[in-house]
Amino acid sequence: MSRPVRSAIYPASVTVLRALPRNVAVQLGVGAAICLAMIVIWTGTGGYFWPRWVLFGVGVILALQIAPRLAWRLPPGRRRRLALHLALDAVIGPLEVIVWALSGGGLFWPAYPLAALTIAFALHAWLEYQRPDSHERELTSRIDVLTRSRRGALDTQAAELRRIERDLHDGAQARLVSLGMSLGLAEKLLETDPEGAAKLLAEARSSTLSALDDLRTVMQAIHPSVLADRGLPGAIEALALDVSVPVEITYDVAGYASPPIESAMYFAVAECLANVVKHSHARRATVRVEHRDGRLVAIVADDGIGGARLGFGSGLQGIADRLEAFDGGLRLRSPDGGPTTVTMEVPCELSSART
Amino acid sequence: MRVVIGEDLALLRDGLTRLLEASGFEVVGAVSDAPSAAALLERDDIDVAVLDIRMPPTFTNEGLKLALAARQRRPGMPIVVLSQFVEQLYARELLESGEGGLGYLLKDRVADVDEFVAAVRQVAAGGTVLDPKVVASLLSRASAREPLARLTPREREVLRLIAQGRSNAGIAAGLFLSEKAIGKHINNIFTKLDLPMAADDNRRVLAVLAYLQAADSPTR
Repeated sequence: MSRPVRSAIYPASVTVLRALPRNVAVQLGVGAAICLAMIVIWTGTGGYFWPRWVLFGVGVILALQIAPRLAWRLPPGRRRRLALHLALDAVIGPLEVIVWALSGGGLFWPAYPLAALTIAFALHAWLEYQRPDSHERELTSRIDVLTRSRRGALDTQAAELRRIERDLHDGAQARLVSLGMSLGLAEKLLETDPEGAAKLLAEARSSTLSALDDLRTVMQAIHPSVLADRGLPGAIEALALDVSVPVEITYDVAGYASPPIESAMYFAVAECLANVVKHSHARRATVRVEHRDGRLVAIVADDGIGGARLGFGSGLQGIADRLEAFDGGLRLRSPDGGPTTVTMEVPCELSSART
Repeated sequence: MRVVIGEDLALLRDGLTRLLEASGFEVVGAVSDAPSAAALLERDDIDVAVLDIRMPPTFTNEGLKLALAARQRRPGMPIVVLSQFVEQLYARELLESGEGGLGYLLKDRVADVDEFVAAVRQVAAGGTVLDPKVVASLLSRASAREPLARLTPREREVLRLIAQGRSNAGIAAGLFLSEKAIGKHINNIFTKLDLPMAADDNRRVLAVLAYLQAADSPTR
C-alpha cells in the first residue's frame, strides 16, 4: 500500500474503531465471521444469493449501536439530542432504501417514511431552538453572577480607594501641612524668640511622628508587610497576636495560594477577628485554614453572643463581595446567643513555591 | 564604639551614619543590601549592628533573618532591628533565644536622636529595647492572662518600662519613685514570673520574654 492512500484511509477507520467500546468491536468481529460463514455455505449450495439478508441484519444491529454512540460523544444539551435523532434517522433512512433495493425495487415506497422522518427531525429541531437550552441557561446565570460579582468587586475597590484617599488627606497630608507651618513660623521666630522657635520645632517633630503613624496605618491597610514577608500563615499568626481575645490557629495548607487570594483571605480573616473583638464578647476564638477539594477554606469561630448578620454596608458583606470576585463565598452561622461560625472559601490551586 | 549599618535607603543610611558618628560611634561599615550586611556581621570587632528589617534582594524581612543568624553564630551579639512596622510576632522571634543585646524599634524613633542613641548604647551593653508600640499592644491584651495576671498594676508598669530597655534609674525617673522601690518591684516581678536566679540583665530579658509569651497563650 502506498503511503498517501494509507494515510488517508487508515486514520479515519482507526478513529472510528478507537471510538468503539470493546463489546461493539467484538460484535463487529462476530458479525463479520457469521457473514463470511453464510457466504461460504452459499458458494457450496449456490442459487439465489440469500446471505444478503444476513449481511443486512448484522449491518442494522451494528449501525444501531455505533451511530448513537458517536452522537453521544457530544457535550450534553441540545446539540447532542439532535445528533442522536439524526443518528437514528441515518440508520432507519438507508435501511428502508436498502430493503426496497433488496426486495427488487419497483415503486419507490421509502419516499413516504423518508419524508416523515425529515419532517419529524425538522419539528424536533424547531422545538429545540424554541426554548433555551439548559446548558445555555446555566451559562446565562453564570454570566449574571459574573456581572454582579465584577460590579461588586469594582464597587468595593472604588470604595477602598476613596477610603485610602480620605485617610491620606485627613491624616498624613494635614499633618505635613501643619508641619510646614510650624517650620515656617519657627524660622521666623529663630532670631526674635528662640524659645518659641524651639517649642515649634518640637511640635514639628511630633507632627512628623503622627504623620508617619498615619502613613503606616494606610500602608498596612493596603498590603500588610507581614503578609509580604511570611505569606498567609505568618500573617494570620501576627493577626492573632494583635487581638485581645485568645485565638487558636490551625493552618493546614500544603502549598501556597496566589498572592491576590492570600490577600483576600487575610483581610477576610482580619475582618472576622475584628468583629469577634468588637461585637461578640467572646472569650476565645479559633481560626482554621485548610485546602480541600480545590478550595482554600478559612473558618473563624468564636464562643460569643452571636447575632451577626450579613447586609448592605456590613463588614461581612464586604468580605462576601470580595470573595465572590474570586468565585468564592462566605457562609455565616450566628444564632442569637451564639456561637458564631464564619466559613469563607475560594477556589484555588496551590503552588509549591511562593510567587 | 564600633557600629555597622544595614539600610537600603541612601537617605536614611547617610542620616544614621551622621547621627551615630555625631554621637561618638565609629561607623565601620554602612551597606545597602542583605548579602553585604551578612558579610559585615561576620566581623568580630563590632560592638553593635543597626539593621533595617526590609532590604534587597527580596525586600521582606532580611534584617530579621540576618539578626537571628548572626546571633546564632555569636550568641548575644548586639543588634538593633529597625522597621517601618512593628510586629509582635517578630519581637517574639527575636527574643526567643533568651539573650539580651537586642533592639526592635520603629524607624520613627530615629527622630528623637537622644533616645535613639541611648537605645543603641543600651543594646550594645546587652540590654533589650522594644519599641513602645510593641509594648503597648502587648499591654492592651496581656493584662488578663497568666502569668502576668499575678502582677500588680504598678509591677506591670515597671515591666513595660523594662521591655522598653530602661535602666532601674530610668524607670525610677519615669515613675517618680526611688531606685530602691523600683529594685523591690523588679524583684517581685522576677519572683512572680518564676524566673531563675541569674545575671540581672538576663533575667530582665526573660521577664520581657514571659511578657511576650503570656500575650500568646490563652487563659485556661
